[in-house]
Amino acid sequence: MDRGRGPPFRRLASGAVTVKFLRQLAAVVLVVAVIVGIGMLWAHTSGGAGPRRAPSPEALQRLEQIKEQIKTGVIRVHSDNGFHLADTGNLIRTCEIETVLAVGVIAVSVVRRRRHRTRRTAARA
Amino acid sequence: MNAGPATPAADSPVTVSRRRILARTRLDFWLDALLLVAFTLAYSLGFTGIATHEWLGIGLGVVLLVHLTLHWDWVIRTTRKLLRRGGRERFVWLVNVLLLLSMTLCIASGILISEVALPELGITPAAGSFWRQMHDTTATLTLILVPIHATLDWRWIVGVARRFAAWRPGRSR
Repeated sequence: MDRGRGPPFRRLASGAVTVKFLRQLAAVVLVVAVIVGIGMLWAHTSGGAGPRRAPSPEALQRLEQIKEQIKTGVIRVHSDNGFHLADTGNLIRTCEIETVLAVGVIAVSVVRRRRHRTRRTAARA
Repeated sequence: MNAGPATPAADSPVTVSRRRILARTRLDFWLDALLLVAFTLAYSLGFTGIATHEWLGIGLGVVLLVHLTLHWDWVIRTTRKLLRRGGRERFVWLVNVLLLLSMTLCIASGILISEVALPELGITPAAGSFWRQMHDTTATLTLILVPIHATLDWRWIVGVARRFAAWRPGRSR
């Protein structure tokens, strides 16, 4: 991303900065709208945008069974009013996946840099 | 706030633009950190519950628009120079474009299949299984791309974090 490697910093008046930000925001919203539009078109062509099909009698029966199990306490449901500290395993799993991928990228970057340095040193020698 | 006496050097254009760059760096750093934490929480549906998951997703969409706007110059610059640039720059661009596509579709499909947030606002979305499937697929893809996107610039993250750790109030760095 933009990490200060671009053109030198220019001093702009605060009004100009706001106008520039709004112009760029409009461009971003347009791009996002195009992506969502393509998604809608995709849904339409694949028949997924239409009305939902009526559930089968088996599905309705299963739903009634689940409702009964919730009432009797066989299945416990969360109130959905906030974080469920009992389910931290779910959060930990997400963090683990992200950490593994991040470590992989950093390892590849370090190895590449070392190789690049070795090659440069060999070329100088 | 720096309460010390103002020196001519402190108000020079170089110092002012340096301060602005630092303020922008700080904004970028904390906004990126916020996005990462919000996405991690939003993905952990079992931990957050459906209501928090949905509101976090909507908030994530808004912050994502700001994040993209702040880096729009980079997007334009890199896209224009794509043919001239090397392999790494192209790879970064590709990861970012894929992330933009997957995250946008993930948030849009999440809004379309909303069960709590939109009905609370009086809107009843009627999306079918296509959007549910789309939400699951794009969420998994986003989970893979987010850490890659974040750590492609890990040296910048380490550099900024080090500067923040060494920062003392009233000292211009």
